[in-house]
Amino acid sequence: MHNPQVKAIRLIEIFLLFSALALFVIGSFLGDTFFLRLATESLIFGGLAMSVDLLLGIVGLLSLGQALYFGFGAYLSALVLKEISPSFFLAIGVVTLSSIVLGWVASFIALRSKGVYFALITFGLAQVAAKVVYNTRSLGASDGMMGVPVLQIWTPFGFVDAGQPGAFFLITMLTIGALYAVLKYFLTTPMGSIWHAIRSNENRLAYVGYKAKGPKQVAFILAAVVAAVSGALYPMLRGFVSPELMFFSVSGNAVVTVVLGGVGTLIGPILGSVLLTSFKSIIGTWTVHHHIVIGLIFVVVVVSAPKGIAGLLAKYFGKTNSGKGGE
Amino acid sequence: MSDSEILLKAKSLSKRFGGLTAVDDVSFEVTRLGVTSIIGPNGAGKSTLFNLLSGTFMADSGLVELDGQNITRMSPEGRLSSGMARSFQITNLFFDLSVIDNLRIATQALEPRSNLFLPLRKSTVAINRANELLEEFGLLECRDQFAGALSHGQQRRLEIAVTLATRPKLLLLDEPTQGMSQGDTQDTAELIKRLGSKITVLLIEHDVDLVMDLSKMVIVMAQGKKLAEGMPSDVRANPLVQTAYFGEELA
Repeated sequence: MHNPQVKAIRLIEIFLLFSALALFVIGSFLGDTFFLRLATESLIFGGLAMSVDLLLGIVGLLSLGQALYFGFGAYLSALVLKEISPSFFLAIGVVTLSSIVLGWVASFIALRSKGVYFALITFGLAQVAAKVVYNTRSLGASDGMMGVPVLQIWTPFGFVDAGQPGAFFLITMLTIGALYAVLKYFLTTPMGSIWHAIRSNENRLAYVGYKAKGPKQVAFILAAVVAAVSGALYPMLRGFVSPELMFFSVSGNAVVTVVLGGVGTLIGPILGSVLLTSFKSIIGTWTVHHHIVIGLIFVVVVVSAPKGIAGLLAKYFGKTNSGKGGE
Repeated sequence: MSDSEILLKAKSLSKRFGGLTAVDDVSFEVTRLGVTSIIGPNGAGKSTLFNLLSGTFMADSGLVELDGQNITRMSPEGRLSSGMARSFQITNLFFDLSVIDNLRIATQALEPRSNLFLPLRKSTVAINRANELLEEFGLLECRDQFAGALSHGQQRRLEIAVTLATRPKLLLLDEPTQGMSQGDTQDTAELIKRLGSKITVLLIEHDVDLVMDLSKMVIVMAQGKKLAEGMPSDVRANPLVQTAYFGEELA
């Protein structure tokens, strides 16, 4: 493989897969709850970060309001599970289809602009949605919605109790893994190449025969679906949803996660989310000011490794490669 | 001259930027095959004219016809599918993508749109064309390098290769030898000559000697207007052109 970044991505994939399986086996064996649920949460927010990375790292669009789709998925999933039927697949299906429509509609508003204006519009859209949810009594207003039932999830191997931390961790891993696989597939298509081309030099695209608008819209909708499906898992884990899920802190956190893990790698953000969520939890047990520590870590990473952890690895592989006389 | 011999026709093209008329009532025709060149001093409106022809700007008035089809209001991507491609004066590539990716993105337009969502390897026509160009333009050894990491001469070659990706009928080249060394300029001149034997080339160029050597037809612009048009030898002898372009002392 000629590209050190491809190697870095492969290494992170393998590392994550093995640590997840190890955690599952050891955690289930020891009857752990805390670490399994923490890991589940980090995968869920990793899915959100992955959707930010699709827009930022692949297409070159900075979304500061991806929490809108995450929160939308979470609320819709909670509603379906509470009001219609406590079915995992129904919730995921409804959220997927609805987020396609939501992403499609929002794309017309957000993609009217580029650069910093795109960032501001996505930010604004999410703020509006968060305020609306915050003030809607039927959605629980500022309290959110509680009492989402514990699911019995159908699988080919029989029903799985989502209340079991190990079982739901596995379900979450498969779901986020499936989203990752879908995004990876898109990157192997000409559509994926066009996304890279948009990030690289959008103005040139028209002269090789494509309008940028359509491919951007496809990416925007796909990112909305990935964020929403990740969000749909949240009430299944926590049993509740709250308007905070749509707040800027969630969108901003996702961007930080992407930068920490490695922009444009898709798997980097998952690793970033695992690290950030663990840091938060570990540092949170020492001090209530854990945001300061995380802020410092972020500054150090941005200054010393602007391409994140994946970038560091790629740099390392690049060096060992050129040592052998390669490009 | 019969109509079927004319590939590109511009009729009374005008473009104003505020108070400045960058292109002022310019009309000309480009016949099939060979190299037609547009020359003129800096600020003559050559690049603006090019932008009107390629759809970067829309003309305020006038008409552009490609092969009998009115393309005046067509988008750049529409013009590409009608058979017109352009290069840029300032190298304009996908710099953080590899050479082969640059070419593959450009050749993808040869494939049906339905292939956009299928794996890249299904787009065999595009891949074959990209490999063909890689070889034709001597870029094989830098196939996997980032376009931004190439030498200036290689970047200019890649730029031309990218514009040829969809096998256009008409190629618009905006100062392809800009900033090139003497040797590279000679190679590029040879390349343009070869291209001219297969397709129609419309060239903007500063290097007058190069133009006179290559072109079958030369159009001279000055201050937004067309000053003269004709065979290279006629244009060179035209006193108006000499004043405007080659310098006062010759007049």
